[in-house]
Amino acid sequence: MTMLQAQSLYKEFDGIKAVDDLSFVVEDNSIVALVGPNGSGKTTVFNIVSGFLKPEKGKMILDAKDITSLSPFKIACLGIGRTFQDIRLFPQISVLDNVMLGLKFETGDRFQSALFQTKRMKKEENESVKKAEELLQFVGLLDKGDALAENLSHGQRKLLELARILALKPKIFLLDEPIAGLFPETKRTMFGLIRKLKESGKTILFIEHDLHSVMDIAEKIIVLDHGKKIAEGTPEEIKKNKEVLKAYLGKESL
Amino acid sequence: MEYLIHIFIIAGIYIILTLSLNLIVGYTGLAALGHIAFACVGAYTSSLLALNFGISPWIGLIIGAILASILGAIVTYPSLRLKGDYLALATLGLGVIVYSIAKNWVGLTRGPMGLPGIPAFKLFGYEMNNVWAYLVLVLIFVFITFIAIKNITNSPFGRILRGIREDEIASQAMGKNVNKYKLIVFVIGAFFAGIAGSLYAHYISFIDPSSFTVMESITVLLMVVFGGMGSLAGSFVGASALIILPEFLRFLGMPSSVAAPLRQMIYGLLLVILMIWRPQGLMGKYKFK
Amino acid sequence: MHQIIINGIISGCIYSLIAIGFAIIYRTVKFFHFAHGVVYAAGAYLAYTFFILLNISPLISFFLSVIIAGLLGIAINRFVYFSLRKHNTPNLVYLLASFGVFIFLQNLLQLIFGAQILTLRTGPVKEGHHVLGAVITDTQILIIISSLVLFFLCWLFIKKTKFGKAIRAVSDDSIGARVVGINPEKIIMIAFAIGSALAGAAGILISLETNIEPTMGLNVILKGIIASIVGGIGSIPGALFGGIFLGLAENLGIWKIQAGWKDTIAFAILIIFLLIRPSGIMGVKTEKEKI
Repeated sequence: MTMLQAQSLYKEFDGIKAVDDLSFVVEDNSIVALVGPNGSGKTTVFNIVSGFLKPEKGKMILDAKDITSLSPFKIACLGIGRTFQDIRLFPQISVLDNVMLGLKFETGDRFQSALFQTKRMKKEENESVKKAEELLQFVGLLDKGDALAENLSHGQRKLLELARILALKPKIFLLDEPIAGLFPETKRTMFGLIRKLKESGKTILFIEHDLHSVMDIAEKIIVLDHGKKIAEGTPEEIKKNKEVLKAYLGKESL
Repeated sequence: MEYLIHIFIIAGIYIILTLSLNLIVGYTGLAALGHIAFACVGAYTSSLLALNFGISPWIGLIIGAILASILGAIVTYPSLRLKGDYLALATLGLGVIVYSIAKNWVGLTRGPMGLPGIPAFKLFGYEMNNVWAYLVLVLIFVFITFIAIKNITNSPFGRILRGIREDEIASQAMGKNVNKYKLIVFVIGAFFAGIAGSLYAHYISFIDPSSFTVMESITVLLMVVFGGMGSLAGSFVGASALIILPEFLRFLGMPSSVAAPLRQMIYGLLLVILMIWRPQGLMGKYKFK
Repeated sequence: MHQIIINGIISGCIYSLIAIGFAIIYRTVKFFHFAHGVVYAAGAYLAYTFFILLNISPLISFFLSVIIAGLLGIAINRFVYFSLRKHNTPNLVYLLASFGVFIFLQNLLQLIFGAQILTLRTGPVKEGHHVLGAVITDTQILIIISSLVLFFLCWLFIKKTKFGKAIRAVSDDSIGARVVGINPEKIIMIAFAIGSALAGAAGILISLETNIEPTMGLNVILKGIIASIVGGIGSIPGALFGGIFLGLAENLGIWKIQAGWKDTIAFAILIIFLLIRPSGIMGVKTEKEKI
């Protein structure tokens, strides 16, 4: 079953083709890597998928629903949870609150509930604290709950970002360079968490510019260069692909 | 002594203005530079209703506040996608336009001549033109405003506002309808500003456009910033300090042609000093980054 | 009708001078330097001081005032904005600081000169020339010609000198500019000098026609910003065009309705442009911030 489908996406910036006739498919409960040299358009694709940019042409389909023209928050509600290349946490808000901001309240986050401090709001708030703590536990940050997000180390921030989108309970995880800048140990933790997510039935699409590191974890790899898809297949297939070798020659080694 | 109570009453009205603006600027991080326009709408509405139709100031107050919040909604809705500087300019423009209307639509507002003889609040037939009674009235409204905004900010709703302040894009990625929250916050802020305007009108019993200039909006903003963005206690301190402390200038025996610009110069200098050395104000915890 | 066009052009010249100065500064610092308006007022008061109070010749008064206005702009940048640039300050802080400077200086002017209306006029108002069914005075002709000269000088500066090119470089990419040996701080200083001098000049020119009062700056800077946005924020020819457009639009507008509604017309134009075409008429459409 297809979870996410891109159809002939085309996006232009000031005359430069950032994404050119791009189509791909992400199957349900799979781990897919979107790779390519820097500037190949990977984050632009993410921005289009999550609704922050609108393509000039093409469609984006999530779980059989056309999301191309929807606003970003709507798309997030429909099931896309994404992280950002520069890590967009809420810096002066506590780690716990960062995660709680991903949770969906039934009515407790309404203005009326706040104004009258309803019992329901308080009940949902207590439940949310528990849920958030569970998620922090999952990524290993429970002891940092009260710290301000801006005081975390780089690796901890990446883990917090993951916990935050877990709170969203998305249908598909969009992770933008989840292991960038991490120590090898934290890289392993991150990949371990991604595998656990897959085991619990989730779908993950992640961006990575280093082709080598995704070989073990990705089930399918999509390779971009200059906004175009140049290859799509299993790690084995990609390893042998001449186009991919050409694109990476002089930039990264396989 | 009566003069002192008068100062407290004015301070109270400014506290309501400051609290309401703090919700918009301090908690949600929106650059709202025309806040006094809402007070203007509240003031003129309840005054005109009382003067032309004999409507009780209590009802006029509510209607004025509602009209102010409707204005807040109408103005914010199209401006939601404007980036920081441009939103500041648009809200400034709102302030100018409302002021212009008050000054030029003479048929409605009597323009620069203002509205004299605005009736005071009546409680069980007893007219409240005693300063002590008015002080109690204002303090009650200050309390109501404080509780309302405290509840709003101390909640999941309030947490979302802070998220918007920190990072709008991340908030959207978390599934929050940022525009809806911005709209609600402006409407609430405008509502309480409208109340402050009515309180002012029925107290002073005379209003004219000169009380609702762009400089007034900036003064309230200064109070928010000085007290501390996102700090309710800070709003009390900021508004009170900036109303009460300049009164001491009077005791230095300066003529008003010196005291008036000097007071403003102190405001201006204070704003610059705050921005350079302590943008979070006296009691704010949110540091601009 | 022709009278309206002349009035519109005069207002337009003043707005354009302000807008051009504002645009030059905006190109280098990327925030709204509101205090630009009080530099305009300071120019007028300086001219009053030299010409009326000290009886210095008009031409020297003009140059002295314009130079000091330029220095004032440099001082504001050095003492306020420069300190802010040291940290990663968001635009709102710059805006508020700019307001603070504005309020401080405007009231300083009021403290020194008083709140009453002053003027640069020395004799009786001369009768104007009748041209094409409208009346235009010598003063008004002087204003228009001076403005044109200043526009031309500006154009020369921006297009032909290396400073002008450097301003454009810094505005596009201040780090890249540094790499090729341009010091952004120096360029910012020059931008403030030129922009503020223009503002001062505008203040002096308008004071030949109308009154000098401490609050004259607020209204004009708002109009200048509107003109800049209409013409395309940061675009210098756009500022010129926007200013003239605004001056004409305002005067055409009040032809049919009361004069007091001028400001409302200006801001209505602003709101329309902000909503429909925030990049202005000559501005470049930019994509939303990088995500």
